[in-house]
Amino acid sequence: MQSSNKPVQAGSSFEGFRMPAVFTVSAILAGFAVEWFTSGSGLAVPGWPANFLFLVFLAVVIAIVGLKFRDRPLVSWLGGIPLGLSLIIGLALLSLIGGVVPQDPAKPDSLASMLRLNGMFSSWPFAFVTLLFLFNLGLSFVWKTIPFRVANLQFILFHGGFWIALSCGLLGSSDLQRLIIPLYEGQESSVAYEMPTERPVHIPYSIYLKEFEIDEYVPQFALYDPETDRVIADKSKIVPEVKKGVKADWPGIATVTVLEFLPSAIPDSSGKPVFAPDRKGVSFARVRIIEGEKSSEEWICAGGPEIRPRFVPVGKYFLGMMDGQPKAFRSHVMVKGASGERRTEVLEVNKPIDFHGWKLYQMGYDEKAGKWSSLSLVEAVNDPWLPSVYCGFFMIMAGNLLYFWKGVKKMEEV
Amino acid sequence: MTLNEFPLIALATIACWSLGSVLQIPARKSKAFDGISWLFFVSGTMVLVWFLVSYWIALERPPLRTLGETRLWYATLIPVVGFLVEYRWKIKWLKYYCLGLASFFLGINVMYPDVFQKALMPALQSVWFIPHVVVYLVSYVLLAASSVSGWHNVLLNVRGKRSTLSESMSHYLALLGFVLLTFGLVFGALWAKEAWGHYWTWDPKETWAFISWLAYLGYLHLVARKTDPRSLQWYLGLAFIVLLVCWFGVNYLPSAQNSVHTYSG
Repeated sequence: MQSSNKPVQAGSSFEGFRMPAVFTVSAILAGFAVEWFTSGSGLAVPGWPANFLFLVFLAVVIAIVGLKFRDRPLVSWLGGIPLGLSLIIGLALLSLIGGVVPQDPAKPDSLASMLRLNGMFSSWPFAFVTLLFLFNLGLSFVWKTIPFRVANLQFILFHGGFWIALSCGLLGSSDLQRLIIPLYEGQESSVAYEMPTERPVHIPYSIYLKEFEIDEYVPQFALYDPETDRVIADKSKIVPEVKKGVKADWPGIATVTVLEFLPSAIPDSSGKPVFAPDRKGVSFARVRIIEGEKSSEEWICAGGPEIRPRFVPVGKYFLGMMDGQPKAFRSHVMVKGASGERRTEVLEVNKPIDFHGWKLYQMGYDEKAGKWSSLSLVEAVNDPWLPSVYCGFFMIMAGNLLYFWKGVKKMEEV
Repeated sequence: MTLNEFPLIALATIACWSLGSVLQIPARKSKAFDGISWLFFVSGTMVLVWFLVSYWIALERPPLRTLGETRLWYATLIPVVGFLVEYRWKIKWLKYYCLGLASFFLGINVMYPDVFQKALMPALQSVWFIPHVVVYLVSYVLLAASSVSGWHNVLLNVRGKRSTLSESMSHYLALLGFVLLTFGLVFGALWAKEAWGHYWTWDPKETWAFISWLAYLGYLHLVARKTDPRSLQWYLGLAFIVLLVCWFGVNYLPSAQNSVHTYSG
């Protein structure tokens, strides 16, 4: 966000934005040409240690070129703002394509597929522009870092952080392992699956699922109009929660009051709901429905795998009950390492656990079975490049804070 | 308080702001009128703050999930930016644009009311939820103000009434907005790692957040390149369109079918 120490000499043929723009467009077109001739095969980033060696090579080349040849007009141009800006716009335009065209498999002979518009972020044009951008960013970073001046700290942190996060994030993507481990209650597994190939992989530890549980929000009741296939909003425009004493009013149709609520029950032989343990029952509510002069009391129920839902006709509508949405779901697991280490853990969304370099996440469950699911899907992630990417993120944030501080100080001068 | 009362709240707020604006005419000559005018401006915003707080309590979760809820925050915060700019730079006109924008967003919320829904999906139940969304919202508010100010400066330039002070204001609003945009982006990445297993997946919302960030990064490099500030007013005016796509438009794009951000629709 500042010009480099060695600005482009006035009058040089590299002055201005025309050449950088031509250069960036050429890089993009060259990338698309490679895609076209390889039928959109894209770029597979090599894995460890080739990606690391490439990163070191890139950093060394940038440092040598930046320090040894910084007075050459071409090098000044390569690390200058006009080229940086053109590449930023190039990156933005390619991201724009990636942000509009669905990044999913397309027909092999379609234009999107041939030019890899449907896999933009692993395409050659994106790789070329990013590589040039890293070169440009790297040169400006080297020039501001050597010789070191405290006044350049903000620039160094922001640009250096961006360089590290971008290069390590993209080059490290080939070493990222994201595996799905399906776990069933009462069973142990050490088999995970790579997505989307579903190729089984043996992981160096096993996980035993003791229990999977779901907390749900309170069920809600709704007046359903079969003619329009819509739920009618009550007077307060709230979908009413099924709690004892709750009253909902649909003017001109009915007033409904919840008299009794059983969170977990099953119908007895006479059809009357009676208490049942948590995983066996479904929620029932006894409601009073007042339609004009007519008053009645009925049981409604959302239903479950073995219990049918109960609706009550109210005029041309139906009063029904919907299970609450999932509030939280968690797996009580025991993770066993290859050396015999055992750890009892609870996996929950937003609360992953670390185990020997792997992060284990609560990912999902059998949504059709809902709260009766005995299947828990756990995701195991191994990202050896994460610390370096985070280092980049924290440098960006530190540079950002300094930028804010400097900006506020300058603003005071206005 | 629920959305049932919202049309009344919106009406009261807009009425306060309108009265405050009308009273600015006699306020040019009278300090007393100026005081009363500001009392109405602040009251309008306080009514919205009061609604936000009571809505938060009724929802039992931060009202930061749906687009309607973010519009509500936006309508509350953007006039504050206008007020602060007047306090800082003595520029009076920005607040009227801000009040106009805020009233427009309140109007959208009245016409297309949200469904009152307490549910917050598990992925959103995180310590990152409030900082990520609030930082982004404040950033959007600042960048919207810089855009509005950019357009105003374009008009001033067309009429040959260039104001360098006003151009400085646009710049600093954009600068502060960019700082917060950067924090929002990084906070989002750190949260995504905890919730979804990876910090960056090129989800459409993430991609558009990156594009918006690049757009403003480009602006700051143009400033560093000492580009004519008059041209930069056009840039600031137009750059906000990218943010609008990221905020609202992305849900309508073909790429958004499998987005992890669809809850915000």
